[in-house]
Amino acid sequence: MSAFILRLVVGIVLALVIGPILVVIIAAFSSGESLSFPPPGFSLRWFIEFFSIAQMRNAFMLSIVLAIASACGAAAVGLLGAIYVSRNRNAFSVMLQMLIMAPLVFPALILGLALLLLYKTVNMSVLPGLFIAHVVVCLPYAFRSVLTSLQSFDTTLEEAGQSLGAGPVRSFLLITMPIIWPGVLSGWLFAFVVSFGELNTALFLTGPGIVTLPIEIFSYLQFQGNQLVVAAASALQVLIILIVLFLAERLVGARQIVQR
Amino acid sequence: MNPSLSRNSLAWAVALPPLIILALFFVVPLGYLLFISFMTNSATSLFDVQPTLANYTEIFSDSFYWLIIQRTLLSTAVVLILCLLLGYPAAFYAAHLSPRGRLIMLMIMMVPLMVSNVVRAYGWFAILGRRGVLSGTLTGTGIIERPVQYLYSFEAVTLGLLTILLPFMVVSLTNSLATIDKHYTEAAHSLGAGPWRTFLRVTLPLSSPGIASGLMLVTFLALSAYVSIALLGGPRYKLLVSMVFDSVSTFRWPRAAALSFVLLLIAFIIAIVIQLVVRPQRVQGKA
Repeated sequence: MSAFILRLVVGIVLALVIGPILVVIIAAFSSGESLSFPPPGFSLRWFIEFFSIAQMRNAFMLSIVLAIASACGAAAVGLLGAIYVSRNRNAFSVMLQMLIMAPLVFPALILGLALLLLYKTVNMSVLPGLFIAHVVVCLPYAFRSVLTSLQSFDTTLEEAGQSLGAGPVRSFLLITMPIIWPGVLSGWLFAFVVSFGELNTALFLTGPGIVTLPIEIFSYLQFQGNQLVVAAASALQVLIILIVLFLAERLVGARQIVQR
Repeated sequence: MNPSLSRNSLAWAVALPPLIILALFFVVPLGYLLFISFMTNSATSLFDVQPTLANYTEIFSDSFYWLIIQRTLLSTAVVLILCLLLGYPAAFYAAHLSPRGRLIMLMIMMVPLMVSNVVRAYGWFAILGRRGVLSGTLTGTGIIERPVQYLYSFEAVTLGLLTILLPFMVVSLTNSLATIDKHYTEAAHSLGAGPWRTFLRVTLPLSSPGIASGLMLVTFLALSAYVSIALLGGPRYKLLVSMVFDSVSTFRWPRAAALSFVLLLIAFIIAIVIQLVVRPQRVQGKA
């Protein structure tokens, strides 16, 4: 009896979590004029429509480029932070770790507002401002991945390299990096995905002509109503994430992705 | 050069970039936001440098804001309770699967977690809207006569938030439950405790750190999920975070700043309540 209830709850959870995404994907392939269920037929017309709208296309491209750039930034900064935290046990190291992890739980909308006011005061232009915000938001994910692999790294290997005459930088690049790279890579992929779907800071930080895909989808939904081109845009978002996850699984293994 | 000195300066060189970035683009802007929340509203610039408490007193003396705060507390509480009631059994199930099964279950939870909130809100849009799945199914089967709009209500917002946040809860709880030493439950069994008693006296307390961290994550995310609230609640059902956004779109920066800190205050109060109720510290470091 209780085993049945357990399975029932698992079923409800899966339906609640996956249901909305499935509905979006099905709606995206509809051949109808507007949203209706069940769809009258299946077609790719809304995907073609998506790429024929300049705003959507530009937003899609911007989101991809921004996600790549922010992931590189977050992975690089996260790697540096993780090196320090994994090798120093002092109050500063604890503080640095808390500071790097803070944007993970801190309401991103409030961070976006704070950054907007700062940017307005110092006249920061839109694109670098957006990039920095994304690096800050993605940093915890990249940092945590790298830190996990650095903590399981045997530092005597590096000491061996140094006793043989390699400097600290050289021994890090030649010995540590090749061993911890799955952590760095999964951190990069995590950061990419987070940046690609990021909404709450971008809400305030996008500007005329510089809009990310999630924000474009959001404003379409708010101002142009329930168009199926939004479903196609959303389905593309899911597709990109599945591709990234597939790559991650191939490159670093599933275990590396779910251990958080 | 002294090797320990160069080692030390190298350590600093490694710590500096993250420190500088977070100081300049996390700590400083939030400090600035706090500063602005105590400044006077200005029609021409961001704010007038004239210290005032008005931004806060106006919020707390306005019955409309109290209504919004009550609503926010209510919806957050309902989301938290449902997250726990649904997430715990799911995590319990996942934690008792084989390592491979658990991996698959966690992967299934990770995908929705990565999909942008706006996409998932759109999914509910498509389900609950006038021409959506639910309305279509109910009219198709003759349960209701005309299409019904289920959006823009407490239920729609709560449902949307719940589904966005459930994966966080499940992942947090699964990791916590999977690390509980099997010997504890076996010991309870061998001492004569039934499955329910074992669960309530052993497993549940040992998983309290996972419950607390999951609930706190859900709290912070639920309070700030503006886009989901805006799409599913519409103009009719607004929460505190919508007020922050509305103040920004009317350029009342000090008000927006003050509302942000009221929101943070509420988040911290809920976090403290969670800590007091769940009491994770009683097993922290022992599980």
